[in-house]
Amino acid sequence: MMYLLIVAGLLVCAIQAVRSARLLSSALWLAGASALTALFMYLLGAPEVAVIELSVGAGLVTVLFVFAINIAGEEEGLSGSPLPAPLTIALILIVVVSIGWLALPALNIELPMLIPMNLSSILWGSRAIDVLLQIVLIFAGTLGMLGMLGESKPAKPHHKEAQE
Amino acid sequence: MAATFILLSIGIPWLGALLVWWVGDQHPKLQHTLAVVFSVLAGAAALALIPNAATAAAVTFPVGGLFGDFTFIPDGLGVFLAAVATVVGSLAVIFSVNYMHGEHQLGRYYAMVLFFIGAMVGLVLTSNLLLVFVFWEITALCSYALISFHNDDPKAVKGGIKALIITQIGGVGLLAGALLVYSYFGTYDLNYFIANAGSLPAGVLAAAAFGFLIAAAAKSAQFPFQTWLPDAMEAPTPISALIHAATMVNAGVYLLARFYPAFKDVPGWTTAVVIVGMLSALLAALMACVATDLKRVLAYSTVSQLGYMVYAIGAGGVFASQFHLFSHSVFKALLFLAAGAVIHAVGTRDMRQMGALGKQMPFVRAVFVIGALALAGLPILNGFWSKELVLEAGLHGGPIWAFVVMVFVAGLTAFYTFRCVYLVFYGEARSHLHGHDAQTAMKVSLGLLALGTLTTWLLVGPFGKLLHDTLPAHEIHALPLGEVALEIFTAPATYIALAVIAVGLLCWWMRDRLAGLASALTGLSRAAADSFGFEAVNRGIVSATQNSAEALRVTQTGLLNWNVLGILAGLVIVIAILAFGA
Amino acid sequence: MNLSPSMLAVIAILGLLGVGFYALLASRNLIKVIVGLQILVKGSMLAFVLAGRLVGNVTLGQSLALTVIVVDTIVAVIGLAISVQIRRHFGTLDVKALTTLRR
Repeated sequence: MMYLLIVAGLLVCAIQAVRSARLLSSALWLAGASALTALFMYLLGAPEVAVIELSVGAGLVTVLFVFAINIAGEEEGLSGSPLPAPLTIALILIVVVSIGWLALPALNIELPMLIPMNLSSILWGSRAIDVLLQIVLIFAGTLGMLGMLGESKPAKPHHKEAQE
Repeated sequence: MAATFILLSIGIPWLGALLVWWVGDQHPKLQHTLAVVFSVLAGAAALALIPNAATAAAVTFPVGGLFGDFTFIPDGLGVFLAAVATVVGSLAVIFSVNYMHGEHQLGRYYAMVLFFIGAMVGLVLTSNLLLVFVFWEITALCSYALISFHNDDPKAVKGGIKALIITQIGGVGLLAGALLVYSYFGTYDLNYFIANAGSLPAGVLAAAAFGFLIAAAAKSAQFPFQTWLPDAMEAPTPISALIHAATMVNAGVYLLARFYPAFKDVPGWTTAVVIVGMLSALLAALMACVATDLKRVLAYSTVSQLGYMVYAIGAGGVFASQFHLFSHSVFKALLFLAAGAVIHAVGTRDMRQMGALGKQMPFVRAVFVIGALALAGLPILNGFWSKELVLEAGLHGGPIWAFVVMVFVAGLTAFYTFRCVYLVFYGEARSHLHGHDAQTAMKVSLGLLALGTLTTWLLVGPFGKLLHDTLPAHEIHALPLGEVALEIFTAPATYIALAVIAVGLLCWWMRDRLAGLASALTGLSRAAADSFGFEAVNRGIVSATQNSAEALRVTQTGLLNWNVLGILAGLVIVIAILAFGA
Repeated sequence: MNLSPSMLAVIAILGLLGVGFYALLASRNLIKVIVGLQILVKGSMLAFVLAGRLVGNVTLGQSLALTVIVVDTIVAVIGLAISVQIRRHFGTLDVKALTTLRR
C-alpha cells in the first residue's frame, strides 16, 4: 500500500511538473517528485543515495531552478508543441510499452533479501576512476556556471561582433 | 624512469598549451616565453627518454575491458620520433618568437602548436590502436587549425579544410583497419597484433593492410592524395616547418614502418607501397621543377622525400626509411625556417621576384645552402647518407624499375634544389626587394638545425642499435658507422646516384644550351604545373564531401524537439533489435 | 490487484520515463525542457537502484545512481546557466529561437 501511494504521488508530481503553466510551480512539483524518489530509493534499500538525492535533487537543484527562473523570468506564450501531438503520444507509447513489455515479465518477483554492504568500499574499490572523474566534472560544472554567469557583461559586444 | 618521461613529454606541451591560452593575448611576451620554455622542456623530456628505450609497456592506464589498457611503450621507433617531434617542434617555436612578432591571437597559435606536438608524441608512443587513432585525429585537427591560422584569408581557410578532409579520409582507413583487427583479436594492443598477424584470415589482414596504407598516404601526402600539402603552405612558415618536418607527415611513414612486419606478407602490399612511394617521389619532383612559389617548391620536395621513405619501407628497408626521416626532418625544418626568414624579410613567396638576396642575407644563405645540399644528397651531409641507404635498400629489396625511377628522381631533386637556391640567393636582383638578415631567435634555431644537418649522420650507429634492440619484430640489422660508411662507399648504387645527381646539377648549369630540350618538354611542365590532374581528383573529393554535408543539412532542423524525436526513434530501433534478437 | 513492490517500481520508472520524454518532445520553454530531463533522470536513477536490489548488490546500484545524480546535477546547473544566458541574448526561452547555428 505504501509503495502504491508513493508511485501514485510520484507520477502526479511528475505530470504536474510538466503540465503546470508557471515555471515556479513546475520547479516545486519537481522538488516533490525528487523527494518521493528519494523515499522510494530508501524503501528499496538505498539509504545513502536517498539522502543525497533528497539534499541535492530536492534541495540544491530546486534552489538553482528558483534562482534561474527569477533571473530569466516567466515567459508567456510558449505553450504549443512544435511537434504534431499524435506523433509525440504514439512514439512515447511505443517506447514505454516496448520497454515494459521487455522488462516486466522478468521483474514480477518479490524483492530478494537485502545484503548490506559498504558503499564507500564499492565506490573506491571498483569505481575509483569514475569517482575521480565525477570530482573533475563537479569542478568543471562549477567553473562553467561561474564563467557563464560572470561573463554576461563582456559577452554582449562579442556576440554582436559574431553576428556581423 | 621511462614512465615519467613519457608522461612528461606528452603532458608538458599540453600543459603549456593550456597555460599559453590562459595567459591571454594581452601578454604576448609572456606567451612567447611560456611557449619556448614548455616546448624546450618537452624536447628535453623526449631526449631523456632515448636512453630509457625498452620493449615493454612503461605506462598503463586500465580503463576497463572495452578499450583495453591505454599503454605507452618507449620503443626505438617511438622515442626517436617523439624526440624529432619535440626537438624540431621546439626549434620551430623558438623561430616563431621572431616570425610571429606582433601577430594577433598568439594564444591560439601557440596553444595549437603545443597541443600538436604533444599529440604527435602520444601518437608515436602509444601501443593501443584506439589511442593511435585518437592522437591521429588530434594531429589532423591541430593541422587544420594551424593551416587556417589566418582565418580572414579565404585561401588559408580553404587549404585548412582541404587538409582536414583529405586526412580524415585517411583516418577512416585507419579506423576501419583498427576495428577489423579488434573484431578478430578482441584487443587494441598493436604489438599483439603484429606478433599474431599471421593468424588472421588473409582477406581481413589485406583489408587492414590497405586501410592503413590509405591512412598513411593521406597523412603523409602521398600519391594520390599529395595535393593537400602544397595548399597547406598558406600557414605561417614555422607551421609549415612543423607539419613538414616534425609532426604531421611523419605520422604516415611511422604507421607504415610500425606495421611493416604485420603486413609484409600480404600479397601485393609491398609492391603497392613501393608504387605509392615511387609515384609520389616522381610526380612531386616534376612539380617542384616548375613551381615558382618558394614554399611550394619545398612542399613538393617534402612529398618527394616522403616518397623515398615510403618506397624504402615497401622495399623492406625500415631502418633506411626511418634514418631518412630523421635526416629529412632536420634539413627540411632548416630549409623551411630559412625560407621563412627570407619571406619574413622580403614579404613575398614568389621566387621570380627574388634573386641576389644572398648578399643581403649571408647567414640565411649559408644555412639554406647547407640544407639544399643535404636535400640534393651531396656527400657528407646527412641527406646523402640516408638517401644512399634508401636507394641501396631499394636495389636489394625492391623491383629494379622502381630503383631506376628513384635514381632519376634523385637527379631531379638536385636540379630543382639548385634552381631554387639560384633563383632566391644568386643571379641578378629581379626587383627592388630589400632583405635583412635573420634575427636572434631565428639565428638560434637555424644555426642548430644547420649544425644538425652537418652532423646527424654520425648517429647512424647508435640509431640503428636503438631500433635493433627495441623492435624485435622488424628484423633491423644495426651496423656501426664505419661499416655503414664502407657499405655505402662500396655500393654501386651510390655511384650511380651520385652520377645522376651530378647530371641533374649539370642540367641546371647548362640550362641555356638545353633550351631546345626544355621547349620539347613544355607539355610535361604544363602538366606538372597542373599537378597532373590529381589536383582535380582531390578537389573532387573535397567538394563531394562538402556537397554531401550540405545535402545532409536538411536533416538538421536545429530544433531540440525534433532531435529528441530522432533519439527516441533510435531507442525504438535498439529495443526492437533486443526484442527480436539479432 | 496485488502488485509486488518491484512491479510497482517498474511502473514508476516507466511512468517517469514517459513523462520525461513527453516534456522533452512537447515543451518549447527551455527551463521546462530541463525539468523534463530531471524527471527522466529520476526514472533511470530508480532503475539503477532497483536493478541493484534485484541482483542482490544494491550497493553497486547505489554507486551508479550516485554517478547519475552528480551528472544530472551538473547538467541542470549548466543547462540553467545556459538558459539564463540565452534569455539575456535572445530575449526569449523559446527553443525555436535556437536554430541560428543552422543559418
